[in-house]
Amino acid sequence: MTRVLLRLVLRWETLLIVAIVGGGIWSATLSEFFFTRINLLDLATPYVFIGLLAFGLTFVVIAGEIDISVTSILAVSVVSFAQLLDHGVNVWLATAAGLGVAAALGLVNGLLVGVLNLPSLAVTLGTLAAFQGLAFVILSGEGVAEFPQRYLSIGGGYSKQELPHALVLLVAAAFVLGLLLHATRFGRYLFAIGSNREAAHLSGVPASRVRVTVFVISGLMAGIAGIAYVGFFGSARADAAQGSLLDVVTAVVLGGVNIFGGAGTMVGVFLALILVAVLRNGMQLANVGGDTQNIVIGVLLLAAIAAGNLGRAIQDGSISLARLGIRRRGVIRSDAKEAAIAMSVESQTPKGR
Amino acid sequence: MIAELRGLKPQQIAAAAFRLREIGLVIALGAAVVFFAIRAPNFLTVGNWQDIARDVAIVVVVAVGETMVVLTRNIDLSVASIVGLSAYISADYLASHPGTALGVAALIAVGVGTVLGFVNGLLVVVARIPAIIATLATLAIYRGLSFQVTAGDQVSAFQLPDRFLDLAASKPLGLPTLAWFAFAVAIAGSAVLRWTRWGRDFYAIGSNPEAARFAGIPVGRRIILAFTICGALSGLGGFLWASRFPNVDAVAATDFELDVITAVVIGGVNVFGGSGTIFGVVLGAVLVATIQDGFTLLRLSEFWKMFFNGAAIVVAVTIDALVTRRLQDALRRRRAEVLAARHAAAPPRPEAAP
Amino acid sequence: MAVDDDNRVRRTPSPPAPLVELHGVSRSYGGVRAVDGVSFSVRPGTVHALVGENGAGKSTLVKILTGIVQLDEGELVIDGESRRVGDAQTAHRLGIVAMYQEPTVFQDLTVAENVFAGRHIRTRLGTVDWRAMRRETARILGELGVEIDPDTPVRGLGVADRQLLEITKALSSSARLLIMDEPTAALSSHEVENLFATIRRLRDRGVAVLYISHRLEEVGELADIVTILRDGRHIETRAANELSQGEIIRLMVGRSLDQLFPKEDVEVGDVVFKAEGLSRGGLFADVSFELHRGEIVALAGFVGSGRTEVARAIFGVDPLDEGQLWIEGRPFRPRSPRRALRRGLAYLPEDRIHQGLIQPMSISRNASMAVLPGLTPGGILRPWRETALARRFMEQLRIKASSPSQIVQSLSGGNQQKVVLSKWLAAEPRVLLLDEPTHGVDVGTKADVHREISRLAAQGLTILLISSELPEVLGMSDRILVMREGRLVAELSRADATQERVIAAAAGVAAA
Repeated sequence: MTRVLLRLVLRWETLLIVAIVGGGIWSATLSEFFFTRINLLDLATPYVFIGLLAFGLTFVVIAGEIDISVTSILAVSVVSFAQLLDHGVNVWLATAAGLGVAAALGLVNGLLVGVLNLPSLAVTLGTLAAFQGLAFVILSGEGVAEFPQRYLSIGGGYSKQELPHALVLLVAAAFVLGLLLHATRFGRYLFAIGSNREAAHLSGVPASRVRVTVFVISGLMAGIAGIAYVGFFGSARADAAQGSLLDVVTAVVLGGVNIFGGAGTMVGVFLALILVAVLRNGMQLANVGGDTQNIVIGVLLLAAIAAGNLGRAIQDGSISLARLGIRRRGVIRSDAKEAAIAMSVESQTPKGR
Repeated sequence: MIAELRGLKPQQIAAAAFRLREIGLVIALGAAVVFFAIRAPNFLTVGNWQDIARDVAIVVVVAVGETMVVLTRNIDLSVASIVGLSAYISADYLASHPGTALGVAALIAVGVGTVLGFVNGLLVVVARIPAIIATLATLAIYRGLSFQVTAGDQVSAFQLPDRFLDLAASKPLGLPTLAWFAFAVAIAGSAVLRWTRWGRDFYAIGSNPEAARFAGIPVGRRIILAFTICGALSGLGGFLWASRFPNVDAVAATDFELDVITAVVIGGVNVFGGSGTIFGVVLGAVLVATIQDGFTLLRLSEFWKMFFNGAAIVVAVTIDALVTRRLQDALRRRRAEVLAARHAAAPPRPEAAP
Repeated sequence: MAVDDDNRVRRTPSPPAPLVELHGVSRSYGGVRAVDGVSFSVRPGTVHALVGENGAGKSTLVKILTGIVQLDEGELVIDGESRRVGDAQTAHRLGIVAMYQEPTVFQDLTVAENVFAGRHIRTRLGTVDWRAMRRETARILGELGVEIDPDTPVRGLGVADRQLLEITKALSSSARLLIMDEPTAALSSHEVENLFATIRRLRDRGVAVLYISHRLEEVGELADIVTILRDGRHIETRAANELSQGEIIRLMVGRSLDQLFPKEDVEVGDVVFKAEGLSRGGLFADVSFELHRGEIVALAGFVGSGRTEVARAIFGVDPLDEGQLWIEGRPFRPRSPRRALRRGLAYLPEDRIHQGLIQPMSISRNASMAVLPGLTPGGILRPWRETALARRFMEQLRIKASSPSQIVQSLSGGNQQKVVLSKWLAAEPRVLLLDEPTHGVDVGTKADVHREISRLAAQGLTILLISSELPEVLGMSDRILVMREGRLVAELSRADATQERVIAAAAGVAAA
C-alpha cells in the first residue's frame, strides 16, 4: 500500500506543487500583500496568454514535434483583428477572423511538417520569422489601442472585482484541453505518434492527419492567447508576445512534458505555468528587473531538461542491475533487451527479407 | 528544373546539387541587383555598396561560426545575445581605459564569446539538452546578463576613442575595414573547414553521427569545439558591432540571430548538417543584405525584411528536402533496373508441384 | 613428410596458420540458443563461405567476431592467442571488419574522405593532406581493379560502389578478416563479377574473406572453403570443390522433423485474397498469388528475397508501383495501413520491438491501438473497454503479465509478441500477414502461437506466414510459396514439400 501511495506522491506534479508553495512562501516574505485573496487570484493574469500558448505547444511536443512560431502566430492574429476592427468590422466578427487567421497559419505549419515531412524545427524557425514579419507588415509598427470594453473584459475583466476572467479562461482551457489530450482517441494517437511514429502508423493510426491537426490546434490556441493578450495589455501591437517564447517553452518543459515526445500532462503544464507566474511575481516584488528574471527562467528551463535526462539515465542505468540478477518492476528485462539487440543487428541487413 | 532532375542519374543529381545552390544564389543575386538598379536611383552607387558591405561584414563574421555549429546538426540561437554582451563589455572597457590597444579590446570580446560558446557546448553535449532549447535558454540568459552588466547604462560614441570608431568608418582600398575583417574570417573559416582534421570531422558528424562515433571521431569534444568557435566569432562580431553602432546598450544586436541563420540556411548549409560551404554562406549573406538594402531604398516597409528572411528559410529547407527525395528515388530506380536485368539474364527454374 | 620416387623429401606446403579460430562458441538470447558450440577456423588468404538458413546463427557469429555481442561459452583464438573481442573498436584493431548490405557511409563527403574518416592523413604542418589521401585511395582502388574517382561525392554512388568503398576502407585500415554479409543482393551481374575479381585480389594479398551468402552458385564460384551451420550448430567445414550444391542444401536442412505442430486439417474455402503482378521497383516484381479462406500459406525465401517488402506493400506501408489486389472479390488499393485494416488486412511486422509495439505503453493500450475507433464512439476513450479487451487476449493467448496495465517494455520477448498478435486479432481481420512471428521466441511461446494460428485458420481466418524456419513452414502450412530475388519462383503443396525442395527453390538450384 505504501508503495502505491509513494508512487502517487513522487510524481512530477507533486514536485511542482511543492515548488509553487515554496515560491509563495518566499514571495510572502517579500510583501505582506502577497497572501491576500485579490493578489493570489490575480497572480496568473499577466501570464494567461503564455499559458494558453503553452497548452497548444504541449500538444505539438507530445506528438514529437516542436512549434516555435506560436508567438508569431499570436502577433498576426492580434494585428489582423486590430486592423479589421479599425476598418469598422464588428468586434466579434473580427475576433472570429483573427482566430481563423491563427488556425490558417497553424495549418501552414501542419502541411509543411505533416504532409511534406519537413523537419518541424527548421520549418517553424522559418515561419517564426515569416509570420512575425507578416504581423509587422499588416500593422506597420503602430499599435491599435481602442477596443470595445466587452472584448477587453475577456482577458482583462474581473467579476465581482476579484475573479479575473483570464484566470477562468486559463482554467477552462486547461480543463478542456486536458480532456482532449487524456480522454480522447485523438490524444491517445498523439502519445502513440510521439513515442513511436512508425509503430503507430503500422497500427493504423492516421499519423499525417493527426500531425497536421496538432499544428492547427497550436495555431488556434495562439489565436485565443491573442484575445487574452489584448484583454490584459489593452493594445494590439505587431511585436506582441515577442520574447515570450522562453516562458512558453519553459512552462511546457517544466510541466513534465518530454521534449522528445510521447509523455506529458496538461495538469503539469498548468502547474508549471503557475510556478512561473509565482516566480516572476516574486522576483518583481524583490525588484528584480524583467531581463534578469529571464536569466532565472532560462536556468530553470535548462535545469528541467537536464533533470529529465538524468532521470532517464538512471532508469537505463538500473538495467545493468537487472543483468546482475536484481529484478525491478518497470525495467526492461535483460533477455528481452538482448533479443532486441539480436533483432536489431539482424535488421542491419533488413532491406530485403 | 525539378522535372529535369527526374531523368538524371544519381551521380549527376548529387553533383548538380552541390553546384546548384551556389549558382542559384549568384543568379538570384544578379537578378536582385538588376531589379533594384532599375527601380532605385541610388542603388548602384559606391556609397550604397559600402553600406551593404558593412552590413554584410558583421553577419558573415558570426555566420562563419554558426555554420560550424549547424554543420554538426546543431543550432545556436544565442549568437545575438553573445554579440550584444561582448559588444558592451569590450566597448565599456575601451571607454574606461582609453589607452588600450584595439587588439586587446578585441581579445576581450572574443574571450567573452568563447566562454559563452563553451557553456553552450557543455549544455548540448554533457547535459544532453537539445541545441534548440539550450540556446533558446542561453539567448535569454546571456541577454539578461547584458542587462545586469549594463545596469541601465550605455556606452556612447563620444566615450570611445576615434581609432575604434574609425574601424567602421575607414575604407582602405575602397572597401570598409569591417569588410576586410569579414573577408579574413571567411578565408580563415574556409581554411579550417577544409584543412583541419577537426573541421572535416564537423562534416562527418553532421552527415552520420553514429558512423562518426564508430570511426573513432570524438563527437562530443568536436561539438563543444564548434559551439566554442561560434561563441568566439560572435564575440569578435560584437567588437565590430560596437565600432559600427557605438551607442551600445543592453539591447544591442537583438534579433540579429535571424539575419545570421538566414544567411546560413539560404547559403546552403543543410539543416541536417553534413554539407555546406563558407562561400555559399557569404553569398547568402550578401543576397539577404542586398535585398534588404534595396527594400530600404525603395522605401518599402523594413518589416518585409523579416517576412522575407522567414520565407527564404522555409523555401530553402523545402528545396533541400525535395532534392534529397529525388536522389533517393533515383537510387531506387537504378536498383530496379539492375534487378530486372539480372532476372532477364538468368531466370531461375521454377518448381511447380500442384 | 612425403617421400617421392627419388627418395627426396618432398615438402608439401602446409596451409597457413589460422587467423581466427572458434572453439565451442555459444551464445543464447533469453533461452534461445542462437549459436551452439561452434568450432571452425578461418585461414588468411582464403575465401571462406558461411552458409545456412536464416536463423542458423550466421549473424550472431558475425556479431561475436565484430565485438558487438559477447559469447557465452567457448573462446576466440586470433593469431594463436585467445582473445576477448569486447567491443567494435577492439575488433577493428585486430583487423576484423564487417560489411553489411547497406554500407554506412558519409553521404556528404567524397570517396577518399570516407575511406579516411576520423584518421585523415596529415601533412607536416598538421593540415589535412588531401593529395596523399587521394593518392592512397586511388592506389587501393587500382589494386582492387576498381575505377572510381576518389573525389566523387558518395551521395551519388550506388550500392555496388558503396560496397567497394567499404572494401577500400577496410583495406586502408589493414583489415585482415573481411566479413561480407550478403553483398551481392543489389548488384547487377557485371557488378558481381567486379566484386568477385576484387575479392580474389584481396585473397591473393593474404586477406581472409568470410563470405556469407545464400546464393549457392556464387559460393561455388568464389569460395575456397565452405562452413555450413544449422540451428546454431556447426555441421561441416570442407573445401568448396568437395561439395556440390545439392550436398550443401542437404547439410543445411538435414534435420529430422520430429517437432509436432498442432496443425489441424482444415476444409479450405474459396478465394479470399488475390494478388496479381505486384511490383515495386528494386524490391520485387510480378508477384501473383491467391489465398483461400482457412488456408495457411507460407512465404519462404532467403534474406533479400522480398517477402517482407511484398507484405508491407500489400498492407499499404510502402507504395506499389504496379499490380492489383482483390479482397473477397472486391478490388483494393492499399494506400495506408489504416485503409488496409478497414478492409480486413492485418500485418504483424518482423521487428516486433520497434515496429510492432509502442514500448512505453501498457498492454491494454498497445492491444487496442488498431481498433481504437471502434472502442471510442464519439472519440472519447473508454479505458475499461481497453482493459477488457486486453484481459480477453491475455487469457486466450496465455500472456504472462501482472495486469493489463503493465508496460510492454518489461515483458519477455515471447509475451511481447503475443501482445502484438493480440492487437491484430482484436481487429478481426480476414487476412493476417505474419512476418516471422516466432523469430527469437522461446519454445513455449512458439507452441502457443502455432496453436493459436491453427485455431484461427480452422475458424476461417486466412494466414500468410512469412517464415524462415523450415520446420515451421512445413509443419504449419497448407501451401508454400517460395520467393527468390524479388520473384515468386515456386509453389509447393503440403504433400510435396520437403526442406530440400524449399531451400533449393529459394536458392535457385535444381532439387536433388
